[in-house]
Amino acid sequence: MKKKIGVYVCHCGGNISDHVDIEKVKAAVRDEADVYLVKNTLFACADSSQKEIGSDIENEHLDAIVVASCSPKLHLNTFRGVAQRAGLNPYNYVQVNIREQSSWAHSDNKTGATEKAILLVKAGIAKAKESEALQSLKIPAANVVAVIGAGVGGMKTAIGLADMGTEVYLIEKDFFVGGRTPQWGTVSPNGDEGAILTEKLYKEVVRRPNITLFTGAELVEKSGSIGNFDLKIALRPRFVSGNPSTEAMQRAAEACPVAVKDDFNFGLTNRRAFMLPAQGQFPQVPAIDQSACTRCGECTAACHEVDLTQEVQTITLHVGAFVVNTGFDPYQPAQGEYGYGELDNVITLPQFRRLMEMNESELVFNGKKIKKIAYIYCVGSRQDDDEGNTYCSRYCCTATSLTAVLAKKKFGNIINFHFNRGIRTYGKHELVYEAASKQGDIFLQFSLKSIPQIEKRGNKTYVKVKDILTAGKELETEADLIVLVTGMVPRKNELLAQQLKIPTGRDHFFNEIHMKLRPVETVIDGVLIAGTCQSPKNILETVNSSMAAAAKINSVLTKGELSLEPTLAKVNPAACDWCDNCSKACPFDAILQTEINGKKVARVNESNCKGCGMCTPVCPTDAIDLAGYTNAQVESMIDALAEA
Amino acid sequence: MTQIQPELTEDIKKYGAFDFTACYNCGNCTAVCNLTEKNSNFPRMMVRYSMLGLKEEILSSKELWMCYACGECSDTCPREAGPGVLMSNLRRYAIANYEKTGLTRLMFKNNPFFIAITLILAVVLAFFLLTIKPDTEVARWLFRYVPYEVLHSFGMGAFALMGLSAFVGVVVMWRHIGKEKKIAFTGEFFKKAVNAAKKVIGEVATLKRYQNCDSDSSIWSKKAVWLRPWFVHWTIMWGFIGLLVATTLDFIFKDPATTIWWPSRILGTIAGILMVYGSTVALNYRFRKITKTYANTLMADWMFLGFLWLAGITGFWLEIAVAMGADLFINHVVLMIHIIISMELVILFAFSKFAHAFYRPLALFMHNL
Repeated sequence: MKKKIGVYVCHCGGNISDHVDIEKVKAAVRDEADVYLVKNTLFACADSSQKEIGSDIENEHLDAIVVASCSPKLHLNTFRGVAQRAGLNPYNYVQVNIREQSSWAHSDNKTGATEKAILLVKAGIAKAKESEALQSLKIPAANVVAVIGAGVGGMKTAIGLADMGTEVYLIEKDFFVGGRTPQWGTVSPNGDEGAILTEKLYKEVVRRPNITLFTGAELVEKSGSIGNFDLKIALRPRFVSGNPSTEAMQRAAEACPVAVKDDFNFGLTNRRAFMLPAQGQFPQVPAIDQSACTRCGECTAACHEVDLTQEVQTITLHVGAFVVNTGFDPYQPAQGEYGYGELDNVITLPQFRRLMEMNESELVFNGKKIKKIAYIYCVGSRQDDDEGNTYCSRYCCTATSLTAVLAKKKFGNIINFHFNRGIRTYGKHELVYEAASKQGDIFLQFSLKSIPQIEKRGNKTYVKVKDILTAGKELETEADLIVLVTGMVPRKNELLAQQLKIPTGRDHFFNEIHMKLRPVETVIDGVLIAGTCQSPKNILETVNSSMAAAAKINSVLTKGELSLEPTLAKVNPAACDWCDNCSKACPFDAILQTEINGKKVARVNESNCKGCGMCTPVCPTDAIDLAGYTNAQVESMIDALAEA
Repeated sequence: MTQIQPELTEDIKKYGAFDFTACYNCGNCTAVCNLTEKNSNFPRMMVRYSMLGLKEEILSSKELWMCYACGECSDTCPREAGPGVLMSNLRRYAIANYEKTGLTRLMFKNNPFFIAITLILAVVLAFFLLTIKPDTEVARWLFRYVPYEVLHSFGMGAFALMGLSAFVGVVVMWRHIGKEKKIAFTGEFFKKAVNAAKKVIGEVATLKRYQNCDSDSSIWSKKAVWLRPWFVHWTIMWGFIGLLVATTLDFIFKDPATTIWWPSRILGTIAGILMVYGSTVALNYRFRKITKTYANTLMADWMFLGFLWLAGITGFWLEIAVAMGADLFINHVVLMIHIIISMELVILFAFSKFAHAFYRPLALFMHNL
């Protein structure tokens, strides 16, 4: 119990004193028990006032102070600082908000505002009486980050972190790094090649000794909290050791009798179970697809580096934090969506980009020369609320316009029809739209209420649309190829989502804490997100957020220790009977079961606890308490308020 | 079902508009246009039809003829797609498609052909004129090969072809626009027709709609009335009509008046002054390219305006020469030029820019039906 409390009532210029009678407030609390002095200040936050409060603490040996002024959001830290500098524990300071809660809220009722202010100050004094000195917690933190996903974003995060001196484990589920980027060919706005971008980044990654790259690797287990996570990583066997020569790789692939759909080409072609790295995929070392391989052994004869005896390995890692950069999957159209899966000339945009890469000077699909291409936008994006993805996938308008330009440039006699819902080639990508429109591409606009209809008549395919830009006129064109511009969906990764427990939004993408102010952090301390696992992004935006995540987490880990707010939950083991209510109520997984002298009790993992207080009211035995907002404090405040 | 025909845009571009495919359908052109009415949102819709190659929609658009090419849409187009320029070119495109001999199309799309046919016609007309006096050396030489009757019927044939083409053009336009407008010849139709005809005559007399083009934001609002495009157009149009009437009166009375106080001569003089003034100012604007509309001057414009101007100037020359009674050789040459140019204007009436003189009133008439 504190015995010498200093109370300061602030005028805030006239913000408070115009509607709250400061003298009355002072008079009302002056005789409260344990109140040693009561003063008013014109501006409590002013330098002179701060100095005065500080010298009062020192000279009068105050053991707690109350400042009745504005919202703690504004000046809590200011006055905590005043206390600390004067030698008083900052948690023995209580701020009472009589500006927003009294003066401003009740400017029409001076008497009422004053009465309310008096009660609030009395409650503050009651809280200060019960306040305890708290020390902020320091825990050691490993300056090591696990970056999950080695696409363009993941590699940029890894490189950024490594250059700031953080140790990085770059964990890639596939056997090759690069993610989606090498599948794209030329990308907007300045015409970089996806494969070359990946190659550049891969070279940067391997050049850095403090980045360890794992391919075929997956997080299977995670424990611990920020600063100290323990992970188990399963490494799938590549079945190829060393660096086989190109010829040996080719021979082995040709020898392999198992053909499966090639994911890299989005199923347009087949590949062997013996997988050769595509252009832009790294390392340029083959791998054997375990799920397809029959272990016939044909490849071992052709390539000596093949080793079919390899098995799954599990390794353990200790890291301070995660950056999740798991990327996206292209939306998979439903069977029959715009004729997909039913008509042989309906493909998706990613498939079309692979088709363009595979054709040299003539654009041919299914043996037919392609001249008229119809692009149907917003497939799997901006859908109806009850149907699915309501969001805009952001990259597709640009990608399609660029695709149309590239197709015409590469194959000459091409006519592009863009069936869109409004073109959003924002920023520098506007130039791509400009180029497409300049080359005579035809843009037709539809609404979700009347989407384009695909019709097969004879051996010709027609696209019909009510074009908004032509006053809703029904227009039709023949098309040799129909390209569905598919949006982004988060890449499927249930195991990871289950391990890391990152909350997802209604769109199924991972959620950040605050879209604008904390864009790469999640509510799980030490787990950051970047790139397209968070929301649809283009490469530029992916790299931006990946670099942001690197900088953010480095700034936390680089000190080697973490400082935690001491306002945490505390368990009194003597009173606890482990009913499990508190751990169920905890949104942060901060309450664990432990045994003390053979008795099962709750324990708080302090590095996970956010001090939210969800656990305290559910405890039937009052065994759990929140430092800084203890039951004793809150009850005494209620008493003070109820006194009236 | 309307088929999109992207190939058609290339054809439209041959009539002189190059930038319209830059349009992104913002609708600024329609918004700034003073003549756009409810349910006829040109120019944007005409740009749209052109981009999609909707030929039938273009040919059946009376809206095409509602525009007087003030050029404000082209000046304010954020994409510099030249909607106003396109409107002018679509009118050429429409004339070329209404006119069924294909001669107009060739002349509009092919400048060398345009010049060649003008020159050939001039030579033919010169021969024809020289043969009016069969005692000249040239005539005697010619008649050894071609009888006078053949030449005469050739001239008559040319007139007949022109007249027939104009008639066919009018019918074709009526059918295109009529189909879109669904005109039925009921009793009510004739009442409406009288009403519409009144409106057309009113518009031709005053160019009231054209006057709406001088919006507050255009450069014309600060210029004197006699410098504004509508007035310039009015002087050319009424100058020409006046000259046509005066010449016809002279022709009917078979006695070319020698005194300028003769009523038809007074009419001719006033009309001539108007036409020379108008065509001079219009040519001046086009040479100086003072707006985007005037900057977009094609061979068809130069020829048409140039011929009107020359016809007027030579007419005055002759009037002065006659008044002075000077029988100089140069005056005979000027007379030849005057007659050749006037004849060409008439013979090419249905095949040149001049054709708008009957297409536009017809479209206006149908608009008001």
